[in-house]
Amino acid sequence: MDKGSLLHGVWVFGDYRNYFQNRVTLQLIAKGRGLAETLRTRVTVLLLGEAVHQYAMEYIAHGADVVMVAEHPDLKCYQVESYTNVVARWAEAFKPNILLGGATSFGREFFPRLAKRLRTGLSADCVNLAVDPDTGLLLQTTPAFGGNLLAEVVTSQHRPQMATIHPCVFKELPHNAGAVGRVVYPEIEVKANTRVRVLRSRRQQVQRDNLQDAEIVIVGGRGLGSKNQFKLLFELAELLEGEVGATRPVVLAGWADEERLLGQTGKTVKPKVLISIGTSGALQYTTGIKEAETIIAINRDPQAPIFKMADLGLVGESSAVLPLLLETLRNRI
Amino acid sequence: MNIVVCIKQVPDEPIIRIDSERMTLIREGTESTINPLDRVALEAGLHLRKHNGGQVTVLSMGPPRGEESLREALAAGADRAILLTDPAFAGSDTLATSHVLARAISRLRPFPDLLLCGMKTIDSDTGHVGPQIAEELGIPQVCGVNKINLEEDSLVVERLSDGFLDTVKVTLPALISVSRECCPVRSLPLGALEIAFSQGDVTRWGCQELGVSEEEVGLKGSATRVRRLLTPAFTRKGEIVSGSPRLLVDRLIGTLEAVGLLDEEDG
Amino acid sequence: MRFEATMKQAVVRRTVREFAGSKLADAAVEMDRTARFPLDLAGEMADLQYFGLEIPAKYGGAGLDAVSSAMVVEEISRANAAMGLCISVHNGVSAYPMYLFGTPEQHRRFLPLMASGEKIGTFCLTEPNAGSDIASIESTAIRRGDEYVLNGNKVFVTNGGVSGINLILARLRGTERAEGLTVFIVESERRGLDKGPPEDLMGMRGNPVCPILLNDCCVPSHNVLGREGEGMKVALSSLNGGRIGIGAQALGIAQACLDVSLTYAEQRYQFGKRLVELETIQKFLADMTIRIEGARLLIYRASHLKDRGLDYARESAMAKLYASEVAVEAGRRGVQMHGGYGYTKAYPIERYYRDAKVCEIYEGTSEIQRMVIARSLLSEVSGSKGENGYEHRSVHKTGSRRTYYSY
Repeated sequence: MDKGSLLHGVWVFGDYRNYFQNRVTLQLIAKGRGLAETLRTRVTVLLLGEAVHQYAMEYIAHGADVVMVAEHPDLKCYQVESYTNVVARWAEAFKPNILLGGATSFGREFFPRLAKRLRTGLSADCVNLAVDPDTGLLLQTTPAFGGNLLAEVVTSQHRPQMATIHPCVFKELPHNAGAVGRVVYPEIEVKANTRVRVLRSRRQQVQRDNLQDAEIVIVGGRGLGSKNQFKLLFELAELLEGEVGATRPVVLAGWADEERLLGQTGKTVKPKVLISIGTSGALQYTTGIKEAETIIAINRDPQAPIFKMADLGLVGESSAVLPLLLETLRNRI
Repeated sequence: MNIVVCIKQVPDEPIIRIDSERMTLIREGTESTINPLDRVALEAGLHLRKHNGGQVTVLSMGPPRGEESLREALAAGADRAILLTDPAFAGSDTLATSHVLARAISRLRPFPDLLLCGMKTIDSDTGHVGPQIAEELGIPQVCGVNKINLEEDSLVVERLSDGFLDTVKVTLPALISVSRECCPVRSLPLGALEIAFSQGDVTRWGCQELGVSEEEVGLKGSATRVRRLLTPAFTRKGEIVSGSPRLLVDRLIGTLEAVGLLDEEDG
Repeated sequence: MRFEATMKQAVVRRTVREFAGSKLADAAVEMDRTARFPLDLAGEMADLQYFGLEIPAKYGGAGLDAVSSAMVVEEISRANAAMGLCISVHNGVSAYPMYLFGTPEQHRRFLPLMASGEKIGTFCLTEPNAGSDIASIESTAIRRGDEYVLNGNKVFVTNGGVSGINLILARLRGTERAEGLTVFIVESERRGLDKGPPEDLMGMRGNPVCPILLNDCCVPSHNVLGREGEGMKVALSSLNGGRIGIGAQALGIAQACLDVSLTYAEQRYQFGKRLVELETIQKFLADMTIRIEGARLLIYRASHLKDRGLDYARESAMAKLYASEVAVEAGRRGVQMHGGYGYTKAYPIERYYRDAKVCEIYEGTSEIQRMVIARSLLSEVSGSKGENGYEHRSVHKTGSRRTYYSY
């Protein structure tokens, strides 16, 4: 067993349970490659389970240099303690520099236990990773205070430097059928876990709300002027197959129900597009929409704070723009 | 049933002030409260005690003002409150924090049957301390639990994990971290607050009582360090357009087409 | 001299604020609209010991100090003024006087029921012809063996519609002005006590204010609170404590006005700027902040004196007077700042304004409070007893001026 290529490497925990988690693994492999290149080392993916060889090939095709496999019937189900035992032994033997995992529910339960076993540092749900040019340390950027702040964390002395990564922050590498890598089967000792048993596992269709699921959300503020003007938003939503949200003054005015309220005391949405009409951009409101991919704002006041948050700001009277928008869309469809 | 609940005192302020030298919160003069999910954990513990008898002990690691949260816990109905406080604990990351809490728990006689805590805190957001306490004490863990049922020597719990609702059986002693849905939280009765603050007893344990050296705790006992704090930047294009309604509408539609929400029109 | 809340007081305030925000704020809109008192909500509050704020634990009360109690009333009133009124009056002028002047037997019979909220209390003073001039009341009490027969007409009884225990001020037959005034504890179910229809009020709607009519209502002699002829003393002492509660209530309303005005000013645009950037608005916000802080300090000081067992009649009058005027001003200027929107029910400010106004009227009008304060200054100088028995225990017989700030 060639320790050399495993020593001080960048390790990525391979989570293949479902399509989503698997994509996260591929994202981490991609990022791991970037880190490994800077650190002049290799990317190793850890694969635990029963009959998991098929995934090894896929990981190599997506950037892994080495895949370490542990196959055992008692590893079939993802289980925190059994996995901690296996990975901790490997880490003690091969001393990786960095160990990354996805911030899935499992990852967020497994990695802290593992970090404690290895007496090393762990950061949670990172939104960025980088190598510090001066020290070579892994700079881990994690959200704090509900995401209102970002903390840059380092693990100076302890190894491996561990982090769980927020899903979909990094982009996976394209599939490269010609990629070359090694699959190794280090020794393992697996004891059946008797203390925690999953009796039943049912896929949950998380009961989510239309507003929070919508790809496009149209929000109306007090600047629309009247309930009748606000009603036009429903028409617009229908034409664009989206949902309507509202700000607090609008709810107070009785133009919309509390369920449509967005912001600090209402809902948070992350749609692909958010069109905010007649809203000034108060902080209590914008905290609910700031993670939308694209924000378009319409307001008659060019100084309105909402424009600072918008990708596209349209300065104009909503009473003129809205009807014209509706008409134009109706003609297209 | 002997239950231990670990709680953390967190800031209640909507505005956070940071000590840019030490990269920590400025806590003086700010209002604090029990971390909401820890409050749920406490209610869950009290609920179990109500139906199965036993004792609920609440532990918290923090500066001396942490006493306030422990007294609140007493007012909620906890039997015993212990504040783990020592200047040496300052700057602890989750590794060091879990060590302090685990040492304190292992000092309790009898050893608890169940450890409860919130799934994560509103300030640090990591969710690490629970599993790390479980690891140090060598007991099993189940995180994110929204329902707890006691069955003889074990617990049967439910939790949502990566899109699956799991029903899990775990032997005691165990550590359970709870989600918001685990137990409804009641408002505290005023008389209970009065009694907790005038007569309630909060024990204090520091390095000495726990038998830990300064190297094992605080900044020295931590593996991670916050190098700096950043505000998330609004990376918005911020393009502003004025003009006729026709122009504005065209620009809007153009953007919708660009992101793929509308098919581009031919011609 | 310490100006911060104790740990306990801070936690009490936060606990009540959370409760009020989650349960009482929404109910306030409905209560104002329907003028209906929410019995289930009152029941929830009773379980949390809101009806026995300063009553000792041995009677089932919360046993809080006066400062904490003022904070409770303030935070409730900030979310729901009508509920704040209910709690303030029940505690301040009904349960607490029962505690202060009751015999051990009366404590045993009545306090647990009041502290648990099972019986809500009132203090019936005002009559059609007697408002500020308490000594001119006409309700009569005729001694007949071992009981008294009460007749009279009490109006504007706060909590009247849902009360179980009523403290009623009546005059022994053949007496005049302050002499012979006596307070009677009259349970609502006594024969001869009837409640009239609830008043249709400008504000504090949802509090069941109604007339209470006594028609040959017989009460046993052991239902006298205090002694025969001591009614004025009991009434004035009750109003003393009640003033802190009303002050706290007004403070809560004023704070609510400032909160919503600030929010509105941050979001509303005129002249190309947010209102908060306009000087006029900044002046308004600054003025309101100072006055609210002033009211708060006056209320806490009066409460603090009460906790220390010192005379607080002047301070409570000052607190009630100032806080109520601050609340009305906050309401008026708050509506003004909201402009047209402030005049609509879409925004809560108009309700706060309507709720605030009565604070200048009940439990001693502002005019009466000024009189109380002036007389307390005069009695210090001349050592004289005021009219209507406004007496101050702190009168120095040597005539030397009392140190104004006796901290």
